[in-house]
Amino acid sequence: MRTKNYMNTLTNWTLRLMAAQFNYRPSLQKYLNSTDGWTNFSIGLKTENGTVEQAIQFQNGRVKVLKYIPDHADATMRFISDDVLKEMVKITPNETINLILKNKVILDGNMAYLGAFNYFVSLLMGKRHQKMLERANRQEVKSRKEEYGITNPEFSEDLLKRKNFRLKAETIDPGVKHLTDPYLSQYSLDSFPRIKMLHEKHLHTTPEISAERPVLLTRWYRKNGFEKDTNGNPWFSEIRQAHAFQYLMENKKPIIRPECLIAGTTCPEEVGVLIYPDTTGTVIWGELGSIDKRVLTPYFISDKTAQELHDIFPFWAKRTTRAWIHEKYDYPFCQKIDERFVASFNFKLVSISHTVPDLPRFVNDGTKAMIEEVRQQIAVLDEGETDKLNTLRSMILCLEGLNSYAANLAQEAGRLAEKETDLKRKAELSELSRICRHVPANPARTLDEAVNSAWISWIGLLMENTNVSLSPGRLDQLFQPFFDKDMKKLSTKQEKKQYLEHVLELISCYFLRNAEHHALVPDVSNYLFGGSQSETAITVGGVTPQGKDAVNDMTYIFLKVTEMLSLSDPNMNARFKLGVNSDTFLKRLCEVNYITVATPSMHNDDAVIEAFSQNADKIEDLRDWASTGCVEITLSGKHMSHTGATSVNMVAGLEMALNNGYHPLMNWHLGPKTGRVENNDFKTFDDFFKAFAAQQKFIIDNTIALNNMSAEAYAYLRPTPLLSTAIQGAVQKAKDVTKGGAIYNTSGSFNIGLCDVVDSLMVIKKLVFDEKRISFKELKEAIDSNFQYNPSLHAMVLKKVSRFGSGSDEAVEMANRVTSLIHSCYKSTKNFRGGDYTVGFWSVAQHVAYGTLSGALPSGRLAYRHFSPGVTPDASASKNFLDNIRDVARLNPRNMDNNIAFNVKLVPAADDSREKIVNTMYSYVKTYFEQGGMQIQFNMVNSDVLKDAMANPENYKNLLVRISGYNAYFVNLNKDMQIEIIERAEYRS
Amino acid sequence: MSKNPLILEIKGNSLDDGPGIRSVVFFKGCPLSCIWCHNPESKKAIVEISFDSNECVGCNTCLKTCPDNALSRENPFFIDRTRCNLCFACVTDCPSGAMEKVGREMTISVLVEKVLKDKPFFDTSQGGVTFSGGEPTLYMLFLAEAAKVLKEKGVHVLIETCGQFRYETFMDLVYPYVDLIYFDIKIMDSRIHKKYCGLSNETILENFKRLYRKFQEGGVEILPRTPLIPDITDTNENLSAIISLFREENVNKTQLMPYHPLWQDKNQKIGIKPPSNSGNKMGEWMEGDRVKICKKLYTDAGILME
Repeated sequence: MRTKNYMNTLTNWTLRLMAAQFNYRPSLQKYLNSTDGWTNFSIGLKTENGTVEQAIQFQNGRVKVLKYIPDHADATMRFISDDVLKEMVKITPNETINLILKNKVILDGNMAYLGAFNYFVSLLMGKRHQKMLERANRQEVKSRKEEYGITNPEFSEDLLKRKNFRLKAETIDPGVKHLTDPYLSQYSLDSFPRIKMLHEKHLHTTPEISAERPVLLTRWYRKNGFEKDTNGNPWFSEIRQAHAFQYLMENKKPIIRPECLIAGTTCPEEVGVLIYPDTTGTVIWGELGSIDKRVLTPYFISDKTAQELHDIFPFWAKRTTRAWIHEKYDYPFCQKIDERFVASFNFKLVSISHTVPDLPRFVNDGTKAMIEEVRQQIAVLDEGETDKLNTLRSMILCLEGLNSYAANLAQEAGRLAEKETDLKRKAELSELSRICRHVPANPARTLDEAVNSAWISWIGLLMENTNVSLSPGRLDQLFQPFFDKDMKKLSTKQEKKQYLEHVLELISCYFLRNAEHHALVPDVSNYLFGGSQSETAITVGGVTPQGKDAVNDMTYIFLKVTEMLSLSDPNMNARFKLGVNSDTFLKRLCEVNYITVATPSMHNDDAVIEAFSQNADKIEDLRDWASTGCVEITLSGKHMSHTGATSVNMVAGLEMALNNGYHPLMNWHLGPKTGRVENNDFKTFDDFFKAFAAQQKFIIDNTIALNNMSAEAYAYLRPTPLLSTAIQGAVQKAKDVTKGGAIYNTSGSFNIGLCDVVDSLMVIKKLVFDEKRISFKELKEAIDSNFQYNPSLHAMVLKKVSRFGSGSDEAVEMANRVTSLIHSCYKSTKNFRGGDYTVGFWSVAQHVAYGTLSGALPSGRLAYRHFSPGVTPDASASKNFLDNIRDVARLNPRNMDNNIAFNVKLVPAADDSREKIVNTMYSYVKTYFEQGGMQIQFNMVNSDVLKDAMANPENYKNLLVRISGYNAYFVNLNKDMQIEIIERAEYRS
Repeated sequence: MSKNPLILEIKGNSLDDGPGIRSVVFFKGCPLSCIWCHNPESKKAIVEISFDSNECVGCNTCLKTCPDNALSRENPFFIDRTRCNLCFACVTDCPSGAMEKVGREMTISVLVEKVLKDKPFFDTSQGGVTFSGGEPTLYMLFLAEAAKVLKEKGVHVLIETCGQFRYETFMDLVYPYVDLIYFDIKIMDSRIHKKYCGLSNETILENFKRLYRKFQEGGVEILPRTPLIPDITDTNENLSAIISLFREENVNKTQLMPYHPLWQDKNQKIGIKPPSNSGNKMGEWMEGDRVKICKKLYTDAGILME
């Protein structure tokens, strides 16, 4: 260990300067205070080689610099070298977190306090910080334009023209009762001026950080206590959450947006960013002064909001899921791995509610009936079943809270109606007032009531549960009976046409409402999950629980709205059942995908049901599955599925197997010692595969250990009584869904880098062991040097081994061997609620993020480059797209019960007719499904258009792209992700 | 012909060689030698070697491998084909795939198996197999057998032909197993045809007329196609002469294939010097306006574009 050097002195001076400013300038000192009193914490700084060790302590309004790091320091930043510490001085505070992501700084301890520290630094820097960001912004725009961009205004115009021509349906599905042309080809966004206006407004509104939810909740907790009530007795968590929820719903501002046909909003802002301080909220502490200026997804933030959040964050700093685990389990090893972001990432620390609640219960039965059911459960409880009683009571409190909010909305709509001078709007507002007096308390009777009931209930669910991936599911099934009933009441053709147009407006409003709230994206997530939003997945088509064709009028109405609005959220998914659903339906899915460029995603019912049948016996429940978040499988309304619980970088396991358990980028020997390539420890390919399997198991075991702790944290910090009323089983068992109340209890994983791993294993197997063309050592040396000194070896690994997606039986076998291994690792464990883990192979955007954190691979992929998304074969696998389709279809669905994402970029020729484009897409999808493929999604755009969008984002605000499972606006993506999508294989269609 | 033919490539997922999704079988060898041929590697009915400088990583493994000293970086084509004995040792050793063997013998069963792999896609797209080349009718027996087997398996069979074949043999052997014929009509003036394509055009035109009459009598559909080659086939005289022929034969539909210069890189790879008479226009993609003018000549005469 080296002794302290000049950097130590420099750091000491800098920190002392900071301390002095806060100690002597009252304008700064006030930031050390919150409603809870002084914010006390300490941050240590040191270098790995011991040249620097300093700490800064914020204690009772005084700031002190210490020449050692105290044992109880809340967070310590370990810099891997002096140079990184120097780098840190030059960058903006919000970028510090990116140094942590890149593993140049290792953070031990509480991330929230690092945020607080960063915020203090940014206060000192003041305008200079903002100027630095503005400069970074200009450089970024310039780099996109000059390094990658091209400019051709015709491209964006051509893209828009796609909407101008629309096919008519050739046949009518049995479930379609009223639409004469199910494709609704006569309508476009231009047919609905009101929706067009709302849509424009939406696209041009910068999202704003919303303080309403956290401020109201914190106010309640400060008054009534969090751990203990005002009498000093420990709270029963469900009861505490329910009271707080009720307070929030009663005091939340009731809002009816101008021109909107649906009452209520998740937040007062036009487009708001919802904050959940008990999970990720405090991550933006450091960005409160700069979030509006950052390069990617800037948010507007008012001074008032920044002050309010700065005031409440101290309350939450030690009450986050992360802090709770840190404290309870004494900073467990699994958490340390997670906080390096390289091998795995536990998404449960952000959200637990990737599921599809029982919306039909709210809409069809209403909250009064739900309350009554809970009361009946209470009535049959035995004496002394206090926990059950409290659990059930908490549910009632939540449902009552929801009703209070609806009543406030009714009043607000009435007030607005009175003021309104436009007669048409006045009537609409009066109608909304009437509707909100009726639903969600009572069963809906009309489609307008049903849609409003679903939305108001949804607001309640989002006020309780993080707005990440909570998904409404099969809305075409829910709404069809109402549409059918309403239409039957009408007699003339004209009336029916008018009503249909009203419904198209109503569903458009529903989409826009769903798009009004954004999930909080701290700057670090711009790189981890770029462009990702709430991922509200809606599912259409497929079959009914009885196995009948479920495609109906509402299915096509949803598809029409999807086509007209091209929104990134809600995330549209479609189910297709071979032999039951019609070709007309599948062709419509293809046409909408072509017009919107990237949505909906398409699923094969047979493969999905086969995959998931290992987790459920009842065929009726399996047939009622719906997509969740990205693509995942949830049995609607019965299943606490937390489908996006944890992600694993499979490439990290491969790198660790190549390095005897050591991970080069992390510079950490974390895994088991499984043998050294340099010592010739692997005599056969199976020897090496065993090492690979051991490292995967190690990573998976750790991420599961953390995920189970994280589930326990939710059960204490944020049980979800309202959600529990909306997932069958919880009321009957009188158990919250975070504790296992649901009928089905699984947790989903998503495992990233499949094709990179498979192609790498194929190279090792073929070239090293089967053909003996190169030695393992030689290959390892080439990887370690990023193939810099051995271009012919690099060419050989790229060209001489068949890849997954090339039609090679051996590569497909390898892929199934890997998925089977991963599947068995997960299936040997249980989650906190006693359920199984499900196994997915889709990647959100982490194939890019994990890629930037991984070295060169035997497959020939160079260091830090993105992986291939989901299960998509590498672009070099084959020139023939049919090879890709066939190989992906041969993946065994039994190993993939949390679904897959197969991304395909298709580029039609300029003079292809719409029929030809749609028929070709249809043929790919239909054949892929017939061969057993599970899921497929298209990006119908070529690289030149994307490069134009990179240089001229203002022309492409609405350009959707599929990343891996979810949609995003291309122009909102980070540069690496844009390049990844540009570099994807392009197939002529 | 007892020997199996040389196949250049079976290209799956083709959307431009007939209806639906198709697998295109490229035969190697052609009786014509059109100077603009967009598959120059398919002209000769012999195995060849190609070198792709874009793929080469410059490791020089091949220089050490070659027993004939046929390779040299000084040579713009890299391979001295007068020295090369086609042992393909360099192809085996080349790590990057820059050196490649062009053309391989294929049995009917292998060919059928490869094509049938794509049958599920033919079925959902009303696609099928397209025999192209080169010239598929150069291997009449093989072609007939392959078409027969595939047709029996329910595959739609399309043949792209230059029209230079023996009519009777074609009718006896191949015709019964074909669903659609794409027939090239390139140049009407026989002397000019000979100059640019190597042979005169009498047989071709005669075959076309006979097949077209068959079609009108309820036989296999035939679509005449013309590649638009700047200043060679796209002249007013030539196109007018083609239109006259179409009028005489009551042809009401055709396809024009605009010129593109991608074949020039392929020439380089297999060691063919660019033809001396390829002017500036041969180096560029044909302009859309020129294509429109050509198409208009046909549509004005009441002939539709496919």
